[in-house]
Amino acid sequence: MASRGAVAYRTEVWSDWCPGCGDFGILAAMQKAFAELELDPANTVVVSGIGCSSKTPHFINVNGVHTIHGRGIAFATGIKLANPRLTVVVNGGDGDLLGIGVAHFVALGRRNIDVTVILHNNQVYGLTKGQASPTLRKGEKVKSIPVPNIQDAVNPIALAIASGYTFVARGYSLWVDHLKELIKKAIQHKGAAFIDVLQPCVTYNDIYTAEYYRERLYKLEEEPGWDPIVRDPSEDEEKKAAAIKKAEEWGSRIPVGIFYVNPLKDTFEDRLQKRNPYYNSAKPPAFEEISSGDGKPIIGPDEFRRIFSKYIVSVRRHG
Amino acid sequence: MKDVYLLVGGAQGSGLETTAQVLAPAFASLGYGVLANREYYSNIVGRHSYIHMRISASGEPKALSYPVDFVGAMDAESVFTHWDDIREGGYLLYDLGVARTRLIQIASMEPELKNRLMEAYKKHGIQPTVQGVVDYLEKEKGVKVIGVSFTAVFNMLVKKFGVARAQAQRFRSSILIGAIVGLTGLDPQAVDLGLERRFAGRKRLVEINRELIRAVAEEVSSEHGTPLKLDQPEVTEGEYVVATGNDIVAMAKIVGGVKYQSYYPITPASDESVFLEAHEHLTVDGKDLGNIVVLQTEDEIAAISSAIGAALTGARSSTATSGPGFSLMVEALGWAGKNDVPVVITYYQRGGPSTGLPTRGSQSDLLYSLYASHGEFPRIILSSGDHLEAFYDAIEAYNLAEKFQMPVIHLLDKFLANMIASMPFPEWSKIRIERGKVLFEAPRGPWKRFPQDEPIADRPVLGSGAWTWYTGDEHNEWGHITEDPINRTIMYERRWKKLEIADREIPVEFRAKLYGDAGADFLLVGWGSVKIVALEALKELEAKGFKGAYLHLRMFSPFPAKYVEGVLSRFDPERVIAVEHNYLGQAARIVTMETGFKFRKFILKWSGRPMYVMELVRGVIDVLEGGKSRVVLTYGK
Repeated sequence: MASRGAVAYRTEVWSDWCPGCGDFGILAAMQKAFAELELDPANTVVVSGIGCSSKTPHFINVNGVHTIHGRGIAFATGIKLANPRLTVVVNGGDGDLLGIGVAHFVALGRRNIDVTVILHNNQVYGLTKGQASPTLRKGEKVKSIPVPNIQDAVNPIALAIASGYTFVARGYSLWVDHLKELIKKAIQHKGAAFIDVLQPCVTYNDIYTAEYYRERLYKLEEEPGWDPIVRDPSEDEEKKAAAIKKAEEWGSRIPVGIFYVNPLKDTFEDRLQKRNPYYNSAKPPAFEEISSGDGKPIIGPDEFRRIFSKYIVSVRRHG
Repeated sequence: MKDVYLLVGGAQGSGLETTAQVLAPAFASLGYGVLANREYYSNIVGRHSYIHMRISASGEPKALSYPVDFVGAMDAESVFTHWDDIREGGYLLYDLGVARTRLIQIASMEPELKNRLMEAYKKHGIQPTVQGVVDYLEKEKGVKVIGVSFTAVFNMLVKKFGVARAQAQRFRSSILIGAIVGLTGLDPQAVDLGLERRFAGRKRLVEINRELIRAVAEEVSSEHGTPLKLDQPEVTEGEYVVATGNDIVAMAKIVGGVKYQSYYPITPASDESVFLEAHEHLTVDGKDLGNIVVLQTEDEIAAISSAIGAALTGARSSTATSGPGFSLMVEALGWAGKNDVPVVITYYQRGGPSTGLPTRGSQSDLLYSLYASHGEFPRIILSSGDHLEAFYDAIEAYNLAEKFQMPVIHLLDKFLANMIASMPFPEWSKIRIERGKVLFEAPRGPWKRFPQDEPIADRPVLGSGAWTWYTGDEHNEWGHITEDPINRTIMYERRWKKLEIADREIPVEFRAKLYGDAGADFLLVGWGSVKIVALEALKELEAKGFKGAYLHLRMFSPFPAKYVEGVLSRFDPERVIAVEHNYLGQAARIVTMETGFKFRKFILKWSGRPMYVMELVRGVIDVLEGGKSRVVLTYGK
């Protein structure tokens, strides 16, 4: 059933990634997740930036908005706030989301907009032939770079938690069903959700290979006592601290799974609605009428006078 | 008098704006036209700021000029700075408490001005103290001096009204207002209206200010009479909107149906977005008239990117910015151009390059707007010449964006942004909402958004039922990536065909307009806020025997080439003068590109201050009679 459903979320566009690219696994997991959640293609939007992974929208049979480098989240923000009834998923690489686009990555967390962000994390800039990305660790030299990297890596999980994302997880592109479950949970979560997906770059990254990950990855949900969910606001600080500590684990063992979930925090859409109860009440803003049938604006001269009365001056008749 | 020119100066943060906020609606309510420009530094407190105001008995005044009839100086720096802005026989109000202050003591004054003043004072034999300047103006220029002990006023406020001593300073503006009320004989009821507008609901403040204004006015007019009394206003009935350009544009956007506006704080654009923020829900008598999402973003890249995203959902969407912000927006602008996205950028030009003059005006971003972003793609560029044009254009910008499915850049400038004007109430018969081929409901299924043979195609929005793809790469009819050379050739041209259609469909009379007689002896060519100055200058020039016309350019893309060429052909090229707030003569260059007409004469100003009528008049005479081909204007502090 599920696999048959996933087919409906495929387009006829050929995926031109390198054979064996981790992006294939992420794409398959997304299509399966969309199918199992029965997302309406008309009301689902996959947004991306630039890079190998950002071609993803063209391969999924829902609305696709393939934008410019680093700005997928910013485009998604406008889409979601103008029509909160859409399901919005952002795809981007580590260079896209954590390098050039990091300001937007942080801002989405601060706002906690109900958008899912899927990071295709392969430690290199693939489409430009393998330069070091913000997630390549200091001192590492993948085969595509001539000298070792001397910039420190950013920790995507810790950054997401510090920025305010309320669902933070890590998946692995070759564990498609595990990843699919994470994607489903992220989409169902109300608020900014982030999944750091580790993926081998078979062409440029000879350090973080499939073999490397196979030897080290373990699932958090199988760890006794691991509970990432905030069930009371008083637990938040502790859960965040535990998640960030866990995110530092990167050596002989590397965790995947859910690091942190806080379903209690209000989304940006909630905050807008709290300030203005009419926001997204009858219709999403994008669908509100702005003119009557004859092309006249809804705000006529009388409404204008009322709304802007303190700027309007009437001259009285003299004599 | 037909017109009264006023200047009030003081330190930034000392309540100077209150004078214009009270006086503008007060005079306007009687039928007088009001225009008030505010000049200020990029500074919160302490730097010299001033308001230059014109009140006119003949309807709305169009432009400002010097000298002024009255200078109200809140501090010593204002006396020093504006000593030569007062006309002979004009009026100067100053604080007796600063009489002994010496020019060199003014720490907030920039050394360049201080040195220039030192030299000028020396040349005229003026002692470089406030008293020295006052004495000179009184004896040599016949200026009537109104010395007021501000301290005595503050003491009175403490004693009579129980105002806290620290708060008393904040009533300075009412001393100036009082003097203006006295000299002009302004109706007390009108003053009340102004105070009510300014201090809405704060009864005690209204009361104290009213009393103070009355006391000062009585004292001033008992000594001087009402020498600045204006003629009866020509307007006896009517309705005006009294607001800054920023506010006017925001009001227009609301009428135009804005649903999403993003911004990153920047002078002189953010006031517009803040105004919209204050109106996020529109309601009259409990009737819901709609909502606006206003998002303060992390940077201008997010501002335009999110605005484009919102536009894809069908929201009327815009962002407002100035030069440095626009510089960050240009990559995304190209994406909007590539994907037929109707997004509006309201662009308030300030002095560049780089940070430039953040709080001063210019018209130096026209060529940049026209070409910003790599690659070639069509866009609509329109610019407004005054408040009323800005109002209609802000609405029209959305219409044009949606009808022709491309980004629209609405160029304004700091002058207009910050000027308070009494604008005639807009005519609703001139306002239409035109949404082009937008579809809020479309058949379910994948949608071919970019049919090759249809440059402007149906535009189902995200969430309409159909699903669509967009990409910054070259795309095929489905919005998917393709590098195919034939598709590339077709799609590239398809985008440009939209501009051809726009060129055919947008009325020429909206895009450029000749003011005055085509048989006139000379022609000024300008755009943006040059319009208001040029039209006034022409009147004065005509009185001096020079009969000219003004060609106002309102749209630069698509450019009304044929019309402009036709107008230009009727004038002697030696008597066609480009008038602009920049160095290059940017609009003139566009005219040359589009028509082949080469400008030989220029009157330019890039000091960051507005163009004034008297300097343009002089500049035109210098060109026509003095044989000058390039006149650079610099008046203003």
